[in-house]
Amino acid sequence: MRLDLSVLLPHLGFLAQGAFLTAQACALALVGSVIMGAFVAIARTSSSARLQRTSLIYVDIFRNVPFIVQLFFFYYGLPEIGISIDAFTTGVIALSMAGGAYASDVIRAGILAIDQGIIEAAEVSGLSRRVIFTRIVLPIALRTSVRPLGSVLINMILTSSILSTITLNELTGSAQIVVSQTYRPFEVYVVLLVVYAILTYLVSLAIALLHRRLNRDMREAVA
Amino acid sequence: MRFTDFTPFDLVLLAQGLGVNVALFLVTSLLGLVIGIGWAIVRYYHVPVLSELVAFVSELLKNSPVLVQLFLVFFGLPGLLHIRVTPVMAAAITLSANTAAFTYVIAVSAIESIGRDQIEAARVFGLSRWQVLRHVVLPQAAAFAVGPLVALLVNQLQVTSLISVIGVVDLTKIGNILNMRTLKPFIVWTAVGLLYYLASKLVAWLGSRFEKRLRAHSAWRGL
Repeated sequence: MRLDLSVLLPHLGFLAQGAFLTAQACALALVGSVIMGAFVAIARTSSSARLQRTSLIYVDIFRNVPFIVQLFFFYYGLPEIGISIDAFTTGVIALSMAGGAYASDVIRAGILAIDQGIIEAAEVSGLSRRVIFTRIVLPIALRTSVRPLGSVLINMILTSSILSTITLNELTGSAQIVVSQTYRPFEVYVVLLVVYAILTYLVSLAIALLHRRLNRDMREAVA
Repeated sequence: MRFTDFTPFDLVLLAQGLGVNVALFLVTSLLGLVIGIGWAIVRYYHVPVLSELVAFVSELLKNSPVLVQLFLVFFGLPGLLHIRVTPVMAAAITLSANTAAFTYVIAVSAIESIGRDQIEAARVFGLSRWQVLRHVVLPQAAAFAVGPLVALLVNQLQVTSLISVIGVVDLTKIGNILNMRTLKPFIVWTAVGLLYYLASKLVAWLGSRFEKRLRAHSAWRGL
């Protein structure tokens, strides 16, 4: 029983490339899931019963089916209907769809938390419904939901390790390659575990900072 | 003769796969709950060193991907300790530990939700620390924690799908096999997804029924 981390030194560059790919995928998927989540949140808070039902079904499905099944559905299913895209794009789409389901709940809560008086004041000022939504409701909702959106992002970073199953060499995928070259699985995976933990810890610190900065004028309201 | 068509036996295969998932889910949830509550009790009694260690381990398990944890146990442990680890064993160890880490957090916050004054009052009445834990803390903490715990269990059921990656023939693996044979990804992954969905819904339904019973004493009965 010996633990020798120095065997990893020659492979650090390769692992860093994988980490970069993970970061890229997560950044794109974060944007995708916030957009997706915003639209779904709009639908879920709209007055149309049909929109509410449809969006609820989407959220329900994507939260109750394992991500790996969703991923395989997209990865093997899309080419069959003639959409041939690479593993990276498929992964980002799948992450965005799954993340969107979680983000929509967060943004919806943010929308529902808005004081009705603000919306009434905007209506009285003669703003159109679209302007009220894009200029008043959404900025407030997104601002208050920075912290829960951060946990969605952290979850996404952890989930993105599953992308290695569709031949994408992100952090976990490249670690598997390093294992097959060094035959030192324990060292590689322990380091990987710690790297993920540090990564998510740094992200949560950054989120807390951003949250404080965005809500600096209403500190007592959101604490 | 073609072997690419669906046969009635495929349904048996799917059911078997789901059975593997559900069995592993039940075992690891039970183990995880027991271990997690044990860790929380260690913290409740402020056991030196051990309570810090528990907090650290749970933090590490919560903030790293389950897939990497699975790889660490399945590929890493045999290399380090020179023992044989079967895929099912690795899956059971990893998922139990993972469930325990999340249960620990829920149990700690449930215990902390009970006011100090209650515990002090009980101590003044002459109850021992164990009696306080058993008769004052536990019933209230259980009612507080059951909601988050059900959400956790629904999530853990989906996490069991990851064990297919280390070679356990569960529902996802069966989906993979059927997909390779029939080359009909849409039907296969929809069926697999549907089975997971129904299982998740069942767990959520049972959980909400249990929650209602636990909270019956504090529910509003009407005038």
